[in-house]
Amino acid sequence: MNPSSKSNKVLGFIISNLIILAIIAINRSLHVEKTGVLVYSQFVILPMLMGIISAWFWRDYKLKTKTIVGYAVINSLLAIALSYLFLGEGVICLIIVSPLILVFVITGSFIGKMMFRKKNQTLNVSIVSLLFMVFVVDSISDHHYENMVSDEIIINAPASTIWKNVVAFEKINAPNQYWLFKIGMPSPKQTTVTGYHNGAGRKCIFSNGYTFDEKIVAFDVNKNLTFDIVAQPQDPEIMGHIDIKRGQFLLKDNGNGTTTLIGNSWYKLRVFPIWYYDVWAESITRNVHLRVMDHIKELSEQ
Amino acid sequence: MFSFVVKKLGFIKSIPLTALIFDSGIKLWQYIFEPKKLILLDSLEDIVLSWEGVDISLHKFGGTQFNFHKNEIGHVHSNGILDILFDRETKNNLILEGKAEQHHVFEKSGWISFYIKSEADIQPAAHLLRESYLRIAQKST
Repeated sequence: MNPSSKSNKVLGFIISNLIILAIIAINRSLHVEKTGVLVYSQFVILPMLMGIISAWFWRDYKLKTKTIVGYAVINSLLAIALSYLFLGEGVICLIIVSPLILVFVITGSFIGKMMFRKKNQTLNVSIVSLLFMVFVVDSISDHHYENMVSDEIIINAPASTIWKNVVAFEKINAPNQYWLFKIGMPSPKQTTVTGYHNGAGRKCIFSNGYTFDEKIVAFDVNKNLTFDIVAQPQDPEIMGHIDIKRGQFLLKDNGNGTTTLIGNSWYKLRVFPIWYYDVWAESITRNVHLRVMDHIKELSEQ
Repeated sequence: MFSFVVKKLGFIKSIPLTALIFDSGIKLWQYIFEPKKLILLDSLEDIVLSWEGVDISLHKFGGTQFNFHKNEIGHVHSNGILDILFDRETKNNLILEGKAEQHHVFEKSGWISFYIKSEADIQPAAHLLRESYLRIAQKST
């Protein structure tokens, strides 16, 4: 292999990453992203484009499938590292996004391989232009998605015993079970209130010290505690990509000395595509619920 | 997994690129857990590409499609399932001779499937593709 061919291979990594970084930088500087929304094409179109660009640099090497996949994996890891360094994304966020980036960079690399075999420049320019157009249209389009997650557990205690633990509770010391909490994602730790009435302030404190400021909007003793989130931390991890809007605990007396505790959360996602990120959002919200509700159960059944 | 997705979630393939992305996921899986399979599929590709007039493209449902002047000879998914369309009579004969199996989805069609699992499967797979290639080439002339 001569030195120029080797450098061409390296260019496949460098140029593709630089182009994608430049597109994201231009996109951000033009304030196309409204309120920090990350559109689906940033996770779908751009990685594919990255794969296609690198395939152009590798087009004369007759690379084997295993090599192309390997190079695409390296390219994806580079992109992820650059996102950490220049885009300020958090480690857990990048772990979540990495499968998406990997498969789309691989897809792009193989689309590129087939495109550049045909040596049909008109077709190639058309495909790249089409992808770029989709990116632009997606970037300037409005994106809005809200969802609600609901969970319930049965507690062997009357609602009157459970209620005080629902409104506020002492520190959760039980070890985390959810794998994302185990690797460092902040988990709920404690809740405090300024008063036991409608309109009172409530704080949900997470393991890393982050605090969600809440305002109680429904205080129906032994039945319904609903609170709006009025301020939430904006960190590079998940909290920067999801707005928790409202939380709720409903208590239902089962008539046999047990109570069904229902936890509801409403959130707005600021990261797309929904079919991918909402799976994560639901899973994380559910595990936040369960960590709090299991703690309430433990306190109430003592 | 592949069978479950294809049979139960087959409708998603109508969404553009979905099948290609699924196939990329398979490639990544093979790269990590069964890299030899990718090498085997490349060797099949090399054999078929050595025939006159043959080119490859991405198959619309994921994998590599072998073409003779834009006519499909067959396609191979990244998990090693080779699919080829024959006439019903040829298909039945191939199955009777144990050279191929019913198609993994479309059993009531002329499609056959052949499962590439080891190096020993490459020549029989190439032989099936060659049969399809010769038929198509003959029709074209």
